[in-house]
Amino acid sequence: MSSTDAQWAVETRGLTKRFGDNVAVDGVELLVPRGCAFGYLGPNGAGKTTLIRTLLGLTRADSGTMSLLGYPVPRHRDRALARVGAIVDEPRFHPHLTGRQNLQILAAAREPAARERIGPALARVGIAQRADDRVAKYSMGMRQRLGVAACLLGDPQLLILDEPMNGLDPAGMHQMRDMVRSLVDEGRTVVLSSHLLDEVERTCDAVAIVDRGRVVRQGTIADLLAGTATTLHVDCSDPQAAADLLARSPQVPAATLTGDGLEITLPPQSGRELVADINRRLVDGGVAVYRLQPSQTSLETWFLQVTSRLGDPQ
Amino acid sequence: MVATRFMELRRRRALMVTLMLVTIALPAGFLAVRLVLHAVAPSTYGPAGGYDVYVSLTAGVMYVFGFIVAATLGCTAGSVDLTDGMFRHLVITGRSRVALYLARIPAGLAIIWSLVAVGFAIVCVVCALSAPTQLNYQGVAVPAGMSEPALQKWAGAHADEVICNFPYNGPIAAAVNCGPGPGGVVVGPGGTGPSAQTTQQLAAMIARQAYPDYARQFVSPSISLMVKTGLWLELEATVGFIVGLGLGSLLGQRTVAVVLMIVLEIILTPIVERAQIPHMGNLQRGIVGVATGQLEPGQLPLALAGGGHDFRITESTTTAVLVIVSWLVVWTALGTWRMATRDA
Repeated sequence: MSSTDAQWAVETRGLTKRFGDNVAVDGVELLVPRGCAFGYLGPNGAGKTTLIRTLLGLTRADSGTMSLLGYPVPRHRDRALARVGAIVDEPRFHPHLTGRQNLQILAAAREPAARERIGPALARVGIAQRADDRVAKYSMGMRQRLGVAACLLGDPQLLILDEPMNGLDPAGMHQMRDMVRSLVDEGRTVVLSSHLLDEVERTCDAVAIVDRGRVVRQGTIADLLAGTATTLHVDCSDPQAAADLLARSPQVPAATLTGDGLEITLPPQSGRELVADINRRLVDGGVAVYRLQPSQTSLETWFLQVTSRLGDPQ
Repeated sequence: MVATRFMELRRRRALMVTLMLVTIALPAGFLAVRLVLHAVAPSTYGPAGGYDVYVSLTAGVMYVFGFIVAATLGCTAGSVDLTDGMFRHLVITGRSRVALYLARIPAGLAIIWSLVAVGFAIVCVVCALSAPTQLNYQGVAVPAGMSEPALQKWAGAHADEVICNFPYNGPIAAAVNCGPGPGGVVVGPGGTGPSAQTTQQLAAMIARQAYPDYARQFVSPSISLMVKTGLWLELEATVGFIVGLGLGSLLGQRTVAVVLMIVLEIILTPIVERAQIPHMGNLQRGIVGVATGQLEPGQLPLALAGGGHDFRITESTTTAVLVIVSWLVVWTALGTWRMATRDA
């Protein structure tokens, strides 16, 4: 994959970070295109937060290079971060100050115009009415929203959100999802680190999967799932007879009996013709077909397969 | 950034209440009680102010506790972003970590200087306006501010008190009955006392000898002394804040830093000032409390840190200034370095 500085919102080459003997980020090569919602997925302890912290200068990399919005960091860190907003881990603030006062502190560390963005940011995340309450009285979801508001103070071109759905109820998740999409629609790039695969699948355009400090896959969700198998669920009058019929056809994959029919795992890239062929064979063999239901491998299943977690004890 | 940092510190209610209690309420409360007592029973309780009270409150209470509260404020300013979790938000803004650290200095000093100034102003006003009109010199009520001839003349008029109470080294041509107790002089043989002229002459001689010591006594603090004392207290508070800020940043937490600062001020500095440790003289002189003690205005014995005339470790003014400047620079550098290198 070739790269041009201006093309990528985030670019890392061979990025490594160790904590003693533990290699938390292991030679990560990451390319996040501009103007998209990008999911950064991995199981617990995979190194997601460490990578984010390294990108933002919260901790130093041991080796490798990285850039944000085309600016090499840490060399041009101030220019890069001027247009970056981020939440890392659970957002925490001065509890004795109000939400607005906390944002005033952060705005003061940014450019003068950031102060004018406090009100609109609070309104956008939906906590304007509680902005003058002390943060000590905020719920976790409200602190999460305040963290997102803090991200918006710099009018960011890139937002990096570490587990932004944490602490949000379903309505809150829905609002967060809508907000991420609206930010992307404005031309910004949003990098989401999450373990909520369903939310990532609904929100993001592309993902990178990290496992044990390494990026194992990255690309658009459609491209990544295109290489996965499809399962065909067949609901018919005589599943056993149907299975026997299909077993005689070498071009049809083996069928598995389930409680209410058959499941046939279709090869990747197989077209609709195979489904039609299966239907024809069953009908011609005297089996009444009530329903043919293809289903794509979910992101979660694929993720577990890719990170070798499928079959791990819970 | 300075304004928001000031706002953040000022809104820590518990901390501000504690600072105000120690720097303002403590001396103000003490003086208020004295004022009330003097108003209710003036013959029993002397005036609320005066030089002695001024010395106790400034060189004792405000000097020591002003340092401690300033250090507490500094330790808080140096560590609280980290403990509250705001530090990483600030780092993510891209602002230089050095700038983030340095913004705390003017914000914190604005608070502590104000508090010390208010407390000190209260002490000055009461001690100057409610001062006694007479000195209690060697147990004798003596008018203050007399010249040597005036004191001798006064002594002649109060010969018995002067002879019986003032310190004197020299031959006594006569003897008076000072009554039982210390200082009493037995009436000479024959049972007759000296003549009035003799006692007056003796009293004048004693007064002349005691005059240098008398001249050092004050009823109330002078304006120049108050100005020097105010600056000295603000210097002590500045040192406490800057060192506390650096230590808080270095350690990343407040409690241990505050404890260490208290140990420095109340335990280590008095020991180092009073003790003569072989081969460690220069190291002792390098302790900042020793240096600020050397800069105390004249006539201000330090209550806890050794006393202006009781130092065994001495150093020149230049050395003291260099020590203080070095501490300010080194601790600022340490605190800045730690903030710049710490994982957020």
